[in-house]
Order: sequence, then C-alpha cells, then structure tokens
Amino acid sequence: MMKELLIIEDDLEMQGFYKDMLRGEPFTVTVASNAEEGIKKAKEKQFNLVILDILMEGMTGDRIFALLRKDARYKAVPIIMASALDEKSYRCFQALGNVSFLEKPFNKERLLGEIAKRFETTK
Amino acid sequence: MLINKKEIILKINSIIFSSLDIRDVYETMSRELLKVIDFDRLTVTLITENNNLYETFVLSKDYEHTALQEGVLYPMEGSLMKRVVQFREPVIVEDTSLGRFQTDKVLYAEGIRSRFGYPLSYKGRVTGSVNFGSKRKDYYTKKHISFFSMIAPQLAMAIENTRLFNKTREAEKKYRSIIENSPDIIFEYTKDGTFPLISPSVERITGYSVEYFYNHKNCGTSLCHPDDRERVQNEVLCVLDGHVDSLMDLECRVIHKQGHIKWLSIEVLPLKEEGKIIGIEGFCRDITERKRLDELKNNLIRDVTHELKTPTAKIEMAIDMFERALSSGNKSLLEKGSQIPEILRNNLYRLKNATKNILDISRLESGIEPLKLTDISIHDIIKHIAGEKKESAGKKKIALIEQLPPDVPPIKADSDKIKHLVNHLIDNAIKFTDEGKITLAVKILPQAVEITVEDTGRGLDKDAQECVFEKFYKENPSAEGSGIGLAICKHIVQMHKGKIWVESEGRGKGSRFKFTLPIAEERKEQGTNQVIRLKAEG
Repeated sequence: MMKELLIIEDDLEMQGFYKDMLRGEPFTVTVASNAEEGIKKAKEKQFNLVILDILMEGMTGDRIFALLRKDARYKAVPIIMASALDEKSYRCFQALGNVSFLEKPFNKERLLGEIAKRFETTK
Repeated sequence: MLINKKEIILKINSIIFSSLDIRDVYETMSRELLKVIDFDRLTVTLITENNNLYETFVLSKDYEHTALQEGVLYPMEGSLMKRVVQFREPVIVEDTSLGRFQTDKVLYAEGIRSRFGYPLSYKGRVTGSVNFGSKRKDYYTKKHISFFSMIAPQLAMAIENTRLFNKTREAEKKYRSIIENSPDIIFEYTKDGTFPLISPSVERITGYSVEYFYNHKNCGTSLCHPDDRERVQNEVLCVLDGHVDSLMDLECRVIHKQGHIKWLSIEVLPLKEEGKIIGIEGFCRDITERKRLDELKNNLIRDVTHELKTPTAKIEMAIDMFERALSSGNKSLLEKGSQIPEILRNNLYRLKNATKNILDISRLESGIEPLKLTDISIHDIIKHIAGEKKESAGKKKIALIEQLPPDVPPIKADSDKIKHLVNHLIDNAIKFTDEGKITLAVKILPQAVEITVEDTGRGLDKDAQECVFEKFYKENPSAEGSGIGLAICKHIVQMHKGKIWVESEGRGKGSRFKFTLPIAEERKEQGTNQVIRLKAEG
C-alpha cells in the first residue's frame, strides 16, 4: 500500500515545490494550507508521515506538533519539521522523539532522503 | 557566628534606639568628675587624623556661652591642647590673663581664669585631652593632676570605646540600610536548608515574606522551577564542597507566590565559619525583564532572518525545479505560462523590498539623511499616489475613494519621504483588505493637516494597535513583509514633528491609520489673518 503523506504548509509556492518533487513517487500526498485544516485532515485519515511548516499563520508548527502527539494515533508517526530558519532555532523539538528537521531550501534528493530516513527509523 | 548574626542585627536595632550615646558618656563623666574636681567649664577634645583639634563636647556647671562649638574643628596651633598632646603631659595655666596660649585669651574673655589640661591616651597613642576651666585664678594644682591621673586611663578607654562603637554603629546602620533597601535579594543560606539572612526585597520579587523564608526549611529548593532545580543544586554543591570559589550569573527561574515565573541571576560565595564552609551567601537579581527583552530580540532576529531566508530559499528551489524540468522534459514547467518565472519574480521582489526596508530604517535611525524641506501639496501627492494605486486596488475589487478638500494649505516637508509614507499606508490598506473600500481623507486642523487612510479590512485588536508601529512587529510571524514598513512611516512622521496612530474597532472591523503634519509657521499666521479678515468682513 502507498504511504500516506500529510503536508501542512501555508505558502502556496512551497506547496507547489512539494507537489513537484513528490510527483511520481510512491506516496499519496495530501496538502493542508493551514493548521486547522491540517489537524482536521489528520483526524479524518491515518497518515504515515507528516511534514510540518513551523512558522504559519494562526498556529505555529510547534503547537500543531504538540496537538498531533496528543492524539494516540499520531504518538509514533514520524514528523518532519520544515523551516527556512536553521535547526538551532528548534532544538527543543528533538527531545520529543521521532522528528527531524528539514531546512529550506531543499531539493528533491534531500526531501526523499529525509522521508526515507524517517520511515527507516520508524520501522 | 552565623546564628548570632540575626541576633546581632536585632541587638543593633535595640542599641540604635537605646540611650547609649556619646553624649551620655560625657554627661555621666562630667557628673562623676564634678564630685571630685571643681570646674566651671569642661571640654573633651579629640585629635582628628590630620592633627587638627576636634572639639567634641562642651559641658559646664554654670557656663552658658563659649566661643568653642561642639563638632567644629579648631586648629591645634596656639592652644593648650597642642602643648598637652605634644608633650604627653598635663599642663596647668594659673592665670589666663597672661595669655600664654591663644585660647587663654578667648577663655579669659569668657571669665575663665585658670585652666588645666590632661592628655588622654589609649593603647599608647594620645587621642585627645580633657580640659578643666575655673573662674578662680590659680585654682588647679598638682593635687588635681595626681587625682585625675588615676581616672584618666579609664576615661580615655570609655571615650575611645564610645567613639569606636559609634563608628561601628554608623557602619552597621549603613549595612542594614543596604540590606533593607537593596533591590536585589541579599541572602545567607546554610547547608541545613535555612536562611539565616534574607533581605526584604525577596517579598517584592517572589511574593513570599522574609518570615516565610526564616520559617520554612528548604523553601529555597521548593521555590526553584522544577526544570532548573537539579542544575542549581549541583552548582551550589560545587561551592559547598569547595570545588569552585564562586558562582557568577547563575540564571534560574523561581515560581512567584502568584504562580508566574521570575528569572533570577544569582551570585554565590561560600559562607565560612572558622575556615569551614557552612553554607553560601550572595545576592539574587531579578532579570525577568531582561529575559523578556532577550526573547523579544531573539524573536525579532528570527523573524527578520525568516523574512530574508524564505524568498532566497524559494528562488533556489524554483531554479532546482526548472533544472529538473529540463532534465525530465516536464513541458508544463518550461513553456509559456510556467509558474517558475512568477515565483522568481515574486520572491526577488520580496527580497528586494525587505532589504530596502532594512536599509531605509537604518538610514532613518542613524539620522545621516537630513530632510529636504520644500513647500509641498499634500493634496497633489495623495491624488497622484491614489491614481497609481487604482489598478492594484481594482484587482482586489476594492474601491479607492478620495475625500480631499480643495484648499489644503501647503506644508513644509520632504516630498520623497511623504510620498513613501502615503504610498506605504495605501499599500498596507490594500494588502490587508479583501473587500470593501479604502478612503483617503484630509482634514485641515488649526495647526496641522490630518491625513486618514481608512480601510474595511482586517482591523487590529488593542494589543496590535499598540505594537503596530514597532520595528519588526508582525501580527503573524509567517506573513510576508519585514515588519518594518510602519516603523519607517512613524520615523518619517516624527521627523516632520507630526503624529501617527491607528484606530480600529477590533479584528475584522477595518482600521484607520492617521497622521498629522504641522502647517508651517507663516502659513498658520496667514491662516489666522484670513480668519480675522473674514470676521471683519462678516
């Protein structure tokens, strides 16, 4: 079965990059344009991996992260936090487990590599 | 010694209010002396460090006036005292009318006919003298000297002790006042978890009283934030064990009585008794405000970095997208209508804009760019910019309405800067309005013109209204924009000695950005004349 990916990203251009990079890859990609929509979609369906933009309007990625982790179904689901800021700014997330950091810009290889790595460690 | 400190402080308290006073010592002395040596005038003089005379106190049986005053320094030269001190021996003046010493003349005029001075020495050092004066000529004899020599050492000691005591008391008073008034918490903490000393500022900072700290063992640990507890304990342990000599700027959080968090910076030194470390002493400074500002600053840096890095990242990713399209032959990305040039353009614009804003505000703040003042017509400027903005407003289906009175007086201002200001306010209004209208209005006030840019857009809540002109402020950190535009506007208005503010009924209820620019002096006069003339005509 194809892995289900949820991408929560409020920047339309960024959404375009994700779609372009993941086209033809063995994933089903669902995109949410804001935090509320992301949380809603996560509840409707069990995703295998979530990619989360950190600085978003309304609710920042760290709060969505906490909300997701509270949900029993998302306790162990791998999460990738993406941001234009460097990893140092988000050191606090690492303690939370099964999360990695993806700094923008990234290319297709880096994105696929990170997704593969997450799935690898989650197995 | 430690436990005693509290007692000592209590004792000092009682002593300060008790009658142990240098005056009392002299009075007792004078009363006692009078029982054995008759005198009309008695002075005790103490030598100051630079060997002047220090007249401490004057007492006499029936002596009302004297040229000498308490607490005033008199030169040693020509005085009986100098002689007494110099030769460390008593001196008798049988008849002051002979004027053997300068002071004899003074005292003779006051009715003193004979004198006798006796040196006071303490631990081998002459500290001053006791001087008797009698209205009777030739009164003092060797008999007096020999008698006084028996009590002089005790007297010298008592005087010195009182003097020292007073010095210590002064020092203690200062010490106590430092503890009581220090904004920082001054404390002593012993290994058994008690606070033998803690200053009153602790209540202001933590909400708990001094008594609470005296009465609750280990409250230091329990007030410390759970996340910081272990670290602080370990650091303190290093001092207690003698591994380190001191701790500087040990930052930790404590939980205020009301539940909120206070940040402290603690300086710690070992507290020793007979060479053994029995606890720690030091002070805690409230750095909550500093921490808040630090966080604010870090957020600002983060937001600006984000604003510069996001478009750069997207430009890089668009180029990557283009290259992949080339190698994979994805035609939709390579042909006309591809989104790639659009993405590049958008982000280059965003980058250019952010850079320009940062440079602009730096230039404005540094003050290196003076205003180029000319007579400008605010009416024409608004009309012109409104014309330019019709298109972008139209795209969003927002109506741009002008309410400009015909005879707006010219103002002295920097034309480029005012254009920038108006331009930015209208751009902002378009950016934050999704439907409705934007109204540009000018009102002529007695001393200024007031310009309003009103929109039916997003609006601002109270907090945002206060911060919106602050540099790098963004209601939403991910929103496009550097958060500098309005700070620049504020700067421009202030440079022109005007005011800028925003009014909004709240979120979703639109906003009114307003600013005033003063009308030039001569214009105002003209204006007033006009009014008078009009009245006269009327």
